[in-house]
Amino acid sequence: MSAPAELTSPEESRDPHWYKRAVFYEVLIRGFADSNADGTGDICGLTAKLDYLQWLGVDCLWLLPIYASPLRDGGYDISDFTSILPEFGDLGDFVRLVEAAHERGIRVIADLVMNHTSDQHAWFQASRADPDGPYGDFYLWSDTDDRYQDARIIFVDTEKSNWTWDPVRGQYYWHRFFSHQPDLNYENPQVRDAMLAVLRFWLDLGIDGFRLDAVPYLFVAEGTNCENLPATHAYLKRVRAEVDRFYPDRVLLAEANQWPADVVEYFGDPDAGGDECHMAFHFPLMPRIFMAVRREQRYPISEIMTSTPHIPANCQWGIFLRNHDELTLEMVTDEERDYMYAEYARDPRMKANIGIRRRLASLLDNSRDQMELFTALLLSLPGSPVLYYGDEIGMGDNIYLGDRDGVRTPMQWSPDRNAGFSSADPARLYLPVLMDPVYGYQALNVEATTRSSTSLLHWTRRMIEVRKRHPTFGQGSYTELGSSNPSVLAFVREFGDDLVLCVNNLSRFPQPVELDLRRYERRTPVELVGGVRFPRIGELPYLLTIAGHGFYWFQLSRTED
Amino acid sequence: MADLDQDALAELLVNWLPTQRWYAGKGRPLRQVAVEQALALTEPASATGPPGLHLVIARVDYADGPAERYSVPVGTAAKLPERLDHARIGQLGAGELTAYDAVFDAELATVLLAQIKAGAVVGAVSFGTEPGVTLDTTLPSRVQGGEQSNTSVVYGDDYILKLFRRIAPGVNPDLELTRALGRVGCAYVAAPLGSIEGQLAGTPVTLGMLAPFLRTGTDGWALATTSVRDLYAEADLHADEVGGDFAGESERLGHATAVVHADLARALPTDLATAAESRATAGQLGERLDAALAAVPELTPYAEPLRAAYAEVAGRTEPVPVQRIHGDYHLGQVLRVETRWVLLDFEGEPARPLAERTRLMSPLRDVAGMMRSFDYAARHLLAEHLNAPGLTYRANEWAERNSEAFCDGYAQGSDRDPREEAALLRAFELDKAVYEVVYEARHRPSWLTIPLGSIERLVG
Repeated sequence: MSAPAELTSPEESRDPHWYKRAVFYEVLIRGFADSNADGTGDICGLTAKLDYLQWLGVDCLWLLPIYASPLRDGGYDISDFTSILPEFGDLGDFVRLVEAAHERGIRVIADLVMNHTSDQHAWFQASRADPDGPYGDFYLWSDTDDRYQDARIIFVDTEKSNWTWDPVRGQYYWHRFFSHQPDLNYENPQVRDAMLAVLRFWLDLGIDGFRLDAVPYLFVAEGTNCENLPATHAYLKRVRAEVDRFYPDRVLLAEANQWPADVVEYFGDPDAGGDECHMAFHFPLMPRIFMAVRREQRYPISEIMTSTPHIPANCQWGIFLRNHDELTLEMVTDEERDYMYAEYARDPRMKANIGIRRRLASLLDNSRDQMELFTALLLSLPGSPVLYYGDEIGMGDNIYLGDRDGVRTPMQWSPDRNAGFSSADPARLYLPVLMDPVYGYQALNVEATTRSSTSLLHWTRRMIEVRKRHPTFGQGSYTELGSSNPSVLAFVREFGDDLVLCVNNLSRFPQPVELDLRRYERRTPVELVGGVRFPRIGELPYLLTIAGHGFYWFQLSRTED
Repeated sequence: MADLDQDALAELLVNWLPTQRWYAGKGRPLRQVAVEQALALTEPASATGPPGLHLVIARVDYADGPAERYSVPVGTAAKLPERLDHARIGQLGAGELTAYDAVFDAELATVLLAQIKAGAVVGAVSFGTEPGVTLDTTLPSRVQGGEQSNTSVVYGDDYILKLFRRIAPGVNPDLELTRALGRVGCAYVAAPLGSIEGQLAGTPVTLGMLAPFLRTGTDGWALATTSVRDLYAEADLHADEVGGDFAGESERLGHATAVVHADLARALPTDLATAAESRATAGQLGERLDAALAAVPELTPYAEPLRAAYAEVAGRTEPVPVQRIHGDYHLGQVLRVETRWVLLDFEGEPARPLAERTRLMSPLRDVAGMMRSFDYAARHLLAEHLNAPGLTYRANEWAERNSEAFCDGYAQGSDRDPREEAALLRAFELDKAVYEVVYEARHRPSWLTIPLGSIERLVG
């Protein structure tokens, strides 16, 4: 096997478009590895596991919030933007993590919440105590709770209003998320400057970029739904200009859980190649992959791909199957949501907010064929794939844990105590390790799956390696091919002369398909994993048969006569 | 070299036409073939130059009844390339030129597209585009396989040229209706881009129509049977519980159907059928039933309830809205593309004369056609699952669920819920089923139980 990636450090390679080809890996520091036996994962623990991530072929780590926080919302309630959550370590640990990652050719990006802070943040404490002081206007205060009535309430399960009364200041404050997370007032130029200073702080420490959480809500305006406002875009352009000027190969990833046609605004001006965020998540694709496979027909995917707008030249979608949140169903119709609940969340405990809280393996009933098909789709559809920690070994979840913790249990490294995650007393773990007979750590762990050459882990690593040999997966165009078989999704990715044909059987039954490949006449399909040459493409429809939930990736090579 | 030798061509067609899939006179005693029109669309072929192309209309006379006319684009070449050997019609005259079916020759197929783009008029034949359409004539062409009565040439991924083979005087209803629907901006059809129209004894005749090619489409039958297959594979789940549930698609299809009907009513004449006309309709249903009873004795037990169902139509006093309809509506006539359903092939039942196909009829006939198609989709796999009695129950459940969803969607797309006209809808469904009984008895006796079972349920 060849080395998966060149070992030059990001400082030396300076490829401004690295994110278009990168494989991202979302890691929960709390759940990955515990270096100091306190039952909670930490930055030093993650640093110690970088060799594993390099072996897997990961190009970029995405860290969930690492900042000081009272942890009432998984760290998205930040109480100090420039210090590390003590349980995770300190700034020195963080710098060592970034350096060690860069030595292995791995970049590091982290979540940053720009829209709001914790109510424990010093800015908010000052703002509520002294309305006339320097922080008095850092948040949105009002004597009444009836402004901006057109803004929807996002956490419908817990919040009744976007306004909450503060008895200290004697006014209501504005919050789009939990009531303990007041929104910053971006109309105030000091807030805008203060957040830019936060970005610079981390960029100077060597971080490769940010996932900007909840960006659509920065600015508010009466008579609007207070999402995606022009002023928000203007500020993001300013942030991007700052990054481009001083930190040319860093990346901004927008978290905007919106339809692609709205999200595309966050890439900025297409004529400039994009002048806001470099990347944004494609949210609606994921539930539709699930729906398409369950319905055994390609139209849920075809529809969303057709209605996905073109994005500026220097931008990229981030795509994922599962992440730390629930499987979000905001981007499907009511009818489709009912369907998804019925199919993937039979037990009401599996639901959260508007979504389903399960891991990939358990959503798919631990079907290896389907996990492979889903991963193959993730690695071949347009966008940069984001893997969720543990999914590469097929980890399960624990739906009896509250909120979204069910998919945040400790990474399973070995059959040792605490799954090798921590040497703490098991009772001290932040969450219990999985011990059920199917997904329990005794059998399902990195050590055991590394030893088994047929494991999902080895398979995933191999597919990442194949993907990296072909820049077309990251940068190529996407063209869906028609066929008379609705259960087969076939498409071509094309980047210069790097042509890859992907054929996916969404049905559990074997399927034949005839593809019109005349435009590739005289080329020879070469299967990418095994290198097997298939019959040359001629004038006639190209016949393939595919096993249930099977797929093929072919390079379409030029052939000599 | 001389121009096309028509007598020689007619001689060749005597043997060649009956071997073609689209030839309708199989089994009839052919008396002679005459070339009625042969319009040169290119310079004549020469020994060294490019091939020639003629649009030929050939009349076939039979010993036992009316003549038929066929349209054949004939290529002529001094030397026929080997890849076109399958399209060979034969040697013309003294063997100087070989005639062949030109649709298979990409070079000549492009000539047809170029003539449409240019709006050429050759003799009595006029080529042309619809208003505002511009065409790319550089696209490579191929012949689409599997068609019965026409031949379709696909250009690139963009256009499909449907060439009508057996031609009859009058504008083809497919062209007429999709053109009318295109003009009112109907989103659920592929509005034509161009056409080839000729004359037969002073009457216009449609020779071809060019439409957008729906590259990523799958027909409704393939999609529906995917769902049925999924249901059959489940051990104990109901139709609304399995992953492959089709009801959402059926509902959208019902909606699209209602919109197309409303657009047809907007674009083309409508009327109200009187009580007398309802009696006449019931009479026709009765005549078809009589013929079917004579041919298929298995139908006899249902004769009385069938007549009773038709009598309800005959006794109807309030008028029935009638309009142009699809006329041969089933799952194979609808295509699912990325974001919607598209209705295809508005030709009506091909076996019936044009005057009958273009008559104003109740749109409930199309609804009935789709109900029957759901029934077939649910049941056609049963023949392969003989030892699974539970499947019959599931097939019923699937057909009912999707018929209901279709009607729900139809009701949302129009101001009428087809189920409110239960008697009429049932009569049309029965009429279709009676037709199917005759067809299956003749062609697929093992499937006869499908329409017979449906009749039993409908009259039960």
